[in-house]
Amino acid sequence: MRVVNAVTTSWPVLRFERPTFAAVAETELDAVHRYLLFLTGNRSVAEDLTGETFEKAFRVWRRFDPRRGTARAWLCGIARTTALDHFRSEERRRRREERYVRDLPETEDVAFEPGPLEVALGLLSAAEREVVALRVLLELDGPTAARVLGISTTACSTRLSRALKRLEELMKDARD
Amino acid sequence: MPATDVDFEREFEELVRDLRALPTAAPEQVREHVRLLGEPARARTLRDVLPALSWRRSLLVLAPVCVLGLVSAALIHGLVSTGGSQNQTLVHGSAGTTQHLGSAQDNAGGGSESGATVTTPWSARTSVPTPTPGRFQDYEASLTVRVKDVDTLHERTAEATQVARSYGGFVASVDESTNGGGGQSDLVLRIPVASVQDAYFRLAKLGTVTAQHLSIRDLDQVVKNQRRRIVQLKLSIARIGQALESTSLPADVRLRLELQRDAAKQELARVTGSNKATLREASLSRISLTLTAQQAAAAKKGGMGRIERAARDAASFLAGAGAVLLFLLIVLSPLIALAVAGFWGTRAYRRREERRLLSAA
Repeated sequence: MRVVNAVTTSWPVLRFERPTFAAVAETELDAVHRYLLFLTGNRSVAEDLTGETFEKAFRVWRRFDPRRGTARAWLCGIARTTALDHFRSEERRRRREERYVRDLPETEDVAFEPGPLEVALGLLSAAEREVVALRVLLELDGPTAARVLGISTTACSTRLSRALKRLEELMKDARD
Repeated sequence: MPATDVDFEREFEELVRDLRALPTAAPEQVREHVRLLGEPARARTLRDVLPALSWRRSLLVLAPVCVLGLVSAALIHGLVSTGGSQNQTLVHGSAGTTQHLGSAQDNAGGGSESGATVTTPWSARTSVPTPTPGRFQDYEASLTVRVKDVDTLHERTAEATQVARSYGGFVASVDESTNGGGGQSDLVLRIPVASVQDAYFRLAKLGTVTAQHLSIRDLDQVVKNQRRRIVQLKLSIARIGQALESTSLPADVRLRLELQRDAAKQELARVTGSNKATLREASLSRISLTLTAQQAAAAKKGGMGRIERAARDAASFLAGAGAVLLFLLIVLSPLIALAVAGFWGTRAYRRREERRLLSAA
């Protein structure tokens, strides 16, 4: 694990170690990108959203409080909101386009190279992919992941278990 | 069964390994874009720190603080009010003299019922207003005097009676009662107005004056009006009598005049009676004297305590605060219920929307 540069807050009463934004961005960039890649299932969208996420984080960096959670979880929360906003605007755009243009082929920039795991991942829902990303790839613990997703810890564990089982089954099917 | 940190790593070991091996690193252009952002310039302010407290945590802190504050306020209120109660008695005792002065001194022709209220401290009792000589005035005074004990109360009651008699007055009523260590005598003394000031001071010296009230009502105009009315009625009766002496009067006129004379005589009797009563009022002042012996009770009260009284006051303060809170709760509960419903509704809607977006993505 890389050592994160830290600064001390300017408030003498509230002295606590606070990492710099640049250091956090350097450390967590891959994690955030990975999460968004799984959530969106689209590489170019994930790249755009990663940039957008860090821009947002940059603007609200002063609100980050390391006492309340890790920078990774905080960034994932921002990333999730950014992604949901994107889905919402995409849905509106699609609806608008459907009104005027019918049978327009969708341009797909798939997230992963073709393979059994990639195919299986593509068949999972976004909600399932994001819980897998948070718990397996980003290695967030149960309560933290649950907080990012806005659900209970039990619901998070159940969702993860089901997602992994389904992924395994889909992979078996893909291999067969 | 939900997967835990340990068992999903073990149960899906191969899958987890494959997932972690996926090429998911951020491309260089994204990395460069993020690097270009640099470091936010603005330092943290207090406003940035404050939201760090979640509402649950704030509530956990604020609720005991409010309760503590309320209890402290109640205790302070209890202590202050019990400490102040003695002062209050003293203030009451020295509250001074309220005088309802008749307007006659300044305005001889004015209505006798009008008056002015003047408050003077008890230390200035030498300047207790005296009735104006040569004018008819209703002089009323009430005096509360504290004496040492019940034995002294009997003595002082007798002394007050003697004071009234010594000035040619009398005791209109006496009501003396004792209860345990305390007692009270209520006397109504009628004393000639000319001697009321001396009598008043003598009565005040029977003990410690705790309250007093003086009222002077000018009756001069009332007496003048009554006298004028009496003269008018007498003249009227005389005129009617003279008219009735005539023998040439028709029967119906005679009857009417006789009825008028009877009515005038009745009115004359009534006004004469009122005039006598007014003159009697003006000649004798009325002093209501209350002698109290509360030393034992007061000592007991003081001994019983400051702490007990402070506790009682604090409890009543808390009860009052509780009543106010309950009232606010009742009044605001519909709004609170609406706010909570709105909060949960918005949250549920947001979650459903998120689920829908994620399932569609």
